Amino acid sequence: MRINCPYCGARGLEEFTYRGDATVKRPESIEESARDAWVDYVYLRDNPAGLHKELWHHGAGCHSWLEVTRNTVTHEITAVELAAKGR
Amino acid sequence: MPILSIRKEGGSVSNLESTSALHGFATPGRYGKRDGEAGVTASERKNLGLATVVARKGQEAALKTAIQGAYGADLPDGSRSAVGKGVRFIGIGPGQWFAVSESLANEALADELATKLQGIASVADHSSGRAVMRIEGPAARDVLAKGLMIDLDPRVFVDGAAATSTLSHMGVLLWRDGNAYDVALFRSVGGSFWGWLRDSGAAFGLEFVTTS
Repeated sequence: MRINCPYCGARGLEEFTYRGDATVKRPESIEESARDAWVDYVYLRDNPAGLHKELWHHGAGCHSWLEVTRNTVTHEITAVELAAKGR
Repeated sequence: MPILSIRKEGGSVSNLESTSALHGFATPGRYGKRDGEAGVTASERKNLGLATVVARKGQEAALKTAIQGAYGADLPDGSRSAVGKGVRFIGIGPGQWFAVSESLANEALADELATKLQGIASVADHSSGRAVMRIEGPAARDVLAKGLMIDLDPRVFVDGAAATSTLSHMGVLLWRDGNAYDVALFRSVGGSFWGWLRDSGAAFGLEFVTTS
């Protein structure tokens, strides 16, 4: 598998580290009432068969965090963006 | 590291002499194939000024203007280099550059950059942490291909092109300077690099020269 890093170009998988689901959002509230949202944020992940948005770290290259859209069935990568885009 | 202590009146002054990252295990000479011209020549570029320059938040445009004014170089938005007055700037990541200089030797480069870029960039000295090896000769690309997964075809990897990647599992920054390839690596892997270079260059005949 190769990932087309927006900064470095296409590189082999061994240059990257998988850093999990890119869609989870940290809950705003830290109150007891937000317990379920926190359990969901920390532990619960979807396991889709198909397109999945995930974070990858280009540790052996430009050290960017990337948001990769990958098909979990075929491993085809349809989009790669810098996670820090617009920031 | 040899420390030359010079006795002076009223005290002593220490003069630190920089030592090759390959000191103690790599000796100059010819390795591998003995007959004919050496396919690859390797040397260490000693006493270079090396520094990283990282734009502070929201200061990237100001940094580019400052570098253009001070060194006449356009900081590249990608993995390639821009050569300015006495300093080469290489893109190593978004908003980050690696600066290399012969004229501003050792820590002089970081000192000058830090002074000129105060408030707009963070500058860190890397001159004592990295070794820069120069690989050249007719078989230079064939040798590098044994450890590096980067396309070095001259139509793609043009003069000034750069890549941050791994060479035989060692993290390196590589750039092309004319027909030579410069490889910056952490000094601590100097021994592993030498082992890789000696073995990979043997088939083509490797000439190792101490300094450039």
